[in-house]
Amino acid sequence: MNKKLRTKFLNAEIKSPLVLPAGIMDMSFSGLDISAKNGAGIVTSKSFTLQPRTGHKGPVVAEFEGGFLNAMGLCNPGIVDGLAETNEFKERSDTPVIVSVFATNVNDFLKLTEYVNTSKGDFLELNLSCPNVFDEFGIPLAASKDEVHKIIKAVKKISEFPVIAKLSPNVYDIVSIAKAAESAGADAICMINTVGPGMLIDTKMVKSVLFNKFGGLSGPCIKPIALKLIYQTYSEVRIPIIGMGGVKSGEDAIEMMMAGASMVGVGTAVYYRGIEVFNKINNEIIEFMDKNEYSNLEGVPKLEKLK
Amino acid sequence: MNKRITLKIAKIEDETHDIKTFTFKHKLNAKPGQFIMITDFEGGEKPLSISDCSEDEFSITVKKIGEFTSRLFQKREGDFMSIRGAFGSSFFISDGKVLLVGGGYGSIPLYLLAKYLSEAGADISVINGARTKNDLVFCDKFRELGIKLIITTDDGTYGEKVSSVDVARKILSNQLVPKPQLGNNDHFQAGAWKRENDEKKKKFDFVYAAGPEMMMKSLQGVIGDIEYEFIFERYMKCAIGICGNCTMDPLGIRLCVEGPVLSKKIVEQITEFGKYHRDATGKRILY
Repeated sequence: MNKKLRTKFLNAEIKSPLVLPAGIMDMSFSGLDISAKNGAGIVTSKSFTLQPRTGHKGPVVAEFEGGFLNAMGLCNPGIVDGLAETNEFKERSDTPVIVSVFATNVNDFLKLTEYVNTSKGDFLELNLSCPNVFDEFGIPLAASKDEVHKIIKAVKKISEFPVIAKLSPNVYDIVSIAKAAESAGADAICMINTVGPGMLIDTKMVKSVLFNKFGGLSGPCIKPIALKLIYQTYSEVRIPIIGMGGVKSGEDAIEMMMAGASMVGVGTAVYYRGIEVFNKINNEIIEFMDKNEYSNLEGVPKLEKLK
Repeated sequence: MNKRITLKIAKIEDETHDIKTFTFKHKLNAKPGQFIMITDFEGGEKPLSISDCSEDEFSITVKKIGEFTSRLFQKREGDFMSIRGAFGSSFFISDGKVLLVGGGYGSIPLYLLAKYLSEAGADISVINGARTKNDLVFCDKFRELGIKLIITTDDGTYGEKVSSVDVARKILSNQLVPKPQLGNNDHFQAGAWKRENDEKKKKFDFVYAAGPEMMMKSLQGVIGDIEYEFIFERYMKCAIGICGNCTMDPLGIRLCVEGPVLSKKIVEQITEFGKYHRDATGKRILY
């Protein structure tokens, strides 16, 4: 990997600023491994819950002109089997891994954190923002700065790993929530989770295309929303941001960095450009850096912060 | 963009007591081995092999195995179903001497393959095996292609009680030579296969297999150094290579994109082959 892409994220040396986010290619150690081999600098596990979940019945994805809707429904093998996959990945790869976990209350988050403490993971991500389990769990925790603060504070007390808060864009004031995460001790913010949720209708059968009816939006259509929220958050918090939402190209990734992201997630673009997308975007970032004579990522300018 | 399309079921035909063929009028441009995702929006979207495909129509052939397929079996001609695809890799079309081995409803994708191979001028032998006579599919369709057909059943309710892998081993080593145009006597009869005046015993160029994974695993052991392609099943959700549910260890290949047809070179590297697969939660399930 080109040295120009080397960067630091929290305590780790990273070979590329690109991150495989939770929910993409992460059901198996081999899915993480092929993503890392194709140029992802950090990979994220599926969001694990205490017990296995089959997720929603299909259709779980629906494509439209601007991107995708998905409602996977947090399918995952449970924390025990999930961490076994993560550990098997770490036996094969030196790429850092974020272990993502999902729960709906402090106690479960603490239990999950104890499991993660025993794993070979590098970072702990708290998924506070899955938009696709509303029927089961109600409004995501990430909608409440008090809940976010309470959970992160409790988890930080026992976590052996740096803690990343995955936030939802579907709130009125994301900055106050990011600040609550920061003041509770979060080491980084991961944003944005999918947008909406939205829906699509099959006009012949008069049915919602997704069996869950609603699903989170991803893909190019959400990039402007992601950029705006990342920029607002970057202006107000000091902890690093993993920025994501509709990144398909090197230029998109540069936009994320200019908005304030330290690392950049690439998810849906795996569909548009293949599993090789990470290296394609890495090369496009290098081209951009060469053209503009930036010798390292720190040299890529960021927007002036909002006043 | 792989646009979703909602189509009326044009025709429904019974193949066996629990297998039906559903035909749709639509130009799908699918190749042998590829699959579609199909749903009625009532819960469940499933990957199903394309069993036939022509200029203006295509068919899927489905075994009733669960909630979704049970509901599908209640549908009538004229009812709507919504599909995405065709997805995935397709079989290499050889023009040499080939052996197709199908087990149970695994034989479904082999029919379209046999059609293509036949057009390419291949010398085709098909072993169509099943547990019992009632589970055999497409025997008549294979016969219509005028290829060498060997039918076996595990319980001997049709032909000899013999495993398809055992027959494959004997055929590949030229201990048995299938006769052309066997008509209705195409089931396995040991005596019928010994050739008095052997034609030049040409080595097989290619083996194709579709069926239970353990059958393919045993078959792999008798193929030797002949090139082959197998078609696999894994739990698929998105079918577009994003969710990672159907990745196979240790390569991380996505069966919905790089598969479902995998070549010898890939199959030989797959450590989970014949050992485990992952269920809808991602949990490993041992075979």
